[in-house]
Amino acid sequence: MADFIVRIAAVLIFFSIVFGALRLIIGKTLMDRVVAIDMLTVVSIALVTLYAHLSGRFVYIDVALVYGLLSFLAVLAIARFLEKGP
Amino acid sequence: MLELLVMLVCGCILISGVLAVRLPNLMTAMVSSGLASLLAAVSYVLLAAPDVAMAEAAIGSGLATLIFLYAIRRTGGADAGREKE
Repeated sequence: MADFIVRIAAVLIFFSIVFGALRLIIGKTLMDRVVAIDMLTVVSIALVTLYAHLSGRFVYIDVALVYGLLSFLAVLAIARFLEKGP
Repeated sequence: MLELLVMLVCGCILISGVLAVRLPNLMTAMVSSGLASLLAAVSYVLLAAPDVAMAEAAIGSGLATLIFLYAIRRTGGADAGREKE
């Protein structure tokens, strides 16, 4: 059962990366690309956590933790830049 | 299963690197280069180097993007300095 759930999670992460990269490639405006990179950040945190479960090394969860604490900074700065103008 | 994800991550690094070089708007190019370093951190984890991945996530994806944003703001907007295609 747990193996089945992990397999479903891997498939969902796969398609999330594919469609996020498609949005990044064909995105017309800057907003589309910022939202795409934000979604890919969350998906990559999920990928790191899934790999920590699969490999059995729980050091990797620290990487996901640091990543989740730091990754919103760039999106926040870009949003502030877009609100105030150059 | 995991090999397919590693190859997908490496392909996305390639795509976002090409986009960071080729895009006409500087802000979108900055976002693409941030995505390249983000996925590089993920691939470091998948290649069993968690400390390198932590440094890459802190410096490459967080600090470098903020410094690029500050530089673009100080040097005159997102459309300056790169030719339209």
